[in-house]
Amino acid sequence: MSALEREISPRVNAEMLPKWIGKTVRLTCKLLNFDSESERSFRVEASDGGQVVIQAINTGEPFRPDDIYLEVIGKVIDATTISMLGCIGMGNELDMKLVNDTVILIHDPRFFGKMFSY
Amino acid sequence: MSQYNDSSYYSGGGGGGGYIAGGSPFSQGGSPGGRVRSDISHSLRPVKISQLNKATQAHADAEFRLDDVELGNVSVVAQAVSIQPQATNCVYHLDDGTGRFEARHWVDQESETNVLNWGGLRESMYVRVTGSLKGFHGKRYLNTVHVRPITDKHEIFFHEMEAITATLTVERGPPGGTGPKATAASGSKDVTMTDASAYSAPSTSVAQDQYAHLPKLQQAIVRFMMEQPPSPEGTHVFAIARAVGDGNDAQKISAALDQLMDEGLVYTTSDDNHFTLAN
Repeated sequence: MSALEREISPRVNAEMLPKWIGKTVRLTCKLLNFDSESERSFRVEASDGGQVVIQAINTGEPFRPDDIYLEVIGKVIDATTISMLGCIGMGNELDMKLVNDTVILIHDPRFFGKMFSY
Repeated sequence: MSQYNDSSYYSGGGGGGGYIAGGSPFSQGGSPGGRVRSDISHSLRPVKISQLNKATQAHADAEFRLDDVELGNVSVVAQAVSIQPQATNCVYHLDDGTGRFEARHWVDQESETNVLNWGGLRESMYVRVTGSLKGFHGKRYLNTVHVRPITDKHEIFFHEMEAITATLTVERGPPGGTGPKATAASGSKDVTMTDASAYSAPSTSVAQDQYAHLPKLQQAIVRFMMEQPPSPEGTHVFAIARAVGDGNDAQKISAALDQLMDEGLVYTTSDDNHFTLAN
C-alpha cells in the first residue's frame, strides 16, 4: 500500500480544528457569507455551530458554489481557517445534528484508530 | 429513503436486507463448523476504505479477512476522485477520507457505449460501490458489481454509522440480544440490519437452524451462550442458570447441558462449571 493510499482526510467540526493544524480534513459546513474584500475566502458554519474561514483555491474566478451546504476538503491553517483543496456540494438541506453526531462518533477512540485511520 | 427500497443493495432474500438479491442465504444442510463459499458470497458489509486496506490475507490465493472474519461482498460510500473508462472495464479511484482505493467495474461494451455517463456518474461525485475485495499481483482492488451516485447526502453519514454498527455487530453480536427492545427494533421495516450473519460468514443463523430441533430449554441455553462475548473459558453455569432460570430448576438445566454435550453442541472448558459452544 502506497503512502498516497494511506492519506486520510477525516471529517471534523470546528472544535476539532486545533488538533489538526497542518493536516488535511473534511469539513461539512453551511455557507454563511463571502469575504467582501477578497472574493477568495468565505465564512462557513461547521456542524457544531463554530464558524470557520475557508480560503478558496485561486483560479482567477471568484468561488461561487451552487449549494448552501458544502464539504470542504482542505489543509488546516489554524483553529479557525482552512485552505481549500477541493469542495463538494452537499445540497440545500442537510441535517447538521446528524453530521455532528457522526463526526463525534468517527473520532471516538474506540473507532478512530480501528476504522478511520492507520 | 425510497432509494433504499429500490436499490438491489437492500433487496433480496431474507426479508431484512443486507443480502444481495438473487440467492438463498444459507445452505440448510451445512455442517456446524463448516462454511461454504456461497454463504460468504451472500454477506454484504458496509466498510471504510481503511478497513479494506487493513484486511489480511494468509497468502495470495486465500480469502480476505477483516476483524478475523472472512469478507464477502462489501459496500463503500466514497468520492469518485477519478473515473477512467478503459476497453473492457471502468476504473474508479475512490477516496472516503480514510484512504484511497481502486474499484474496477467490468462493463459489457455492447450495452454501454459511454461508460462515463452510466448512472450519471461524474468525477468528484459521491458514489456507492458494491463489490468484492480482490488482489492481483500484490495490489488490491474492488471487483465492482454495482455503482450508483449518491443523491441524498445523508447517505454518506448513514454509511459511516452503518460501518461502525457492522464492525460492532461482527465483534459483539447483534445489539440487544433477544429482549423485547431488540425484537421490536428488528421488526421495524426501516431497520435493514438484522444480525451479524448479514455482514459476515453466517455462523449465527446457520447455528440457529442447526439448533431448531432442540427442546425449548436447550435452545434458550444455546442462544444465551451465543450472545456472550467470546472467551477461552466459556460461560459459567451460574450465568446460564440466571439467564434461563425462570421456572427451570438447577436439575433441569444440568440435564439440558448434559444432553447438549451428548449431542456434541457444547463442551466443558476449564472445569465442569464452564461451558462453551462447539462451533
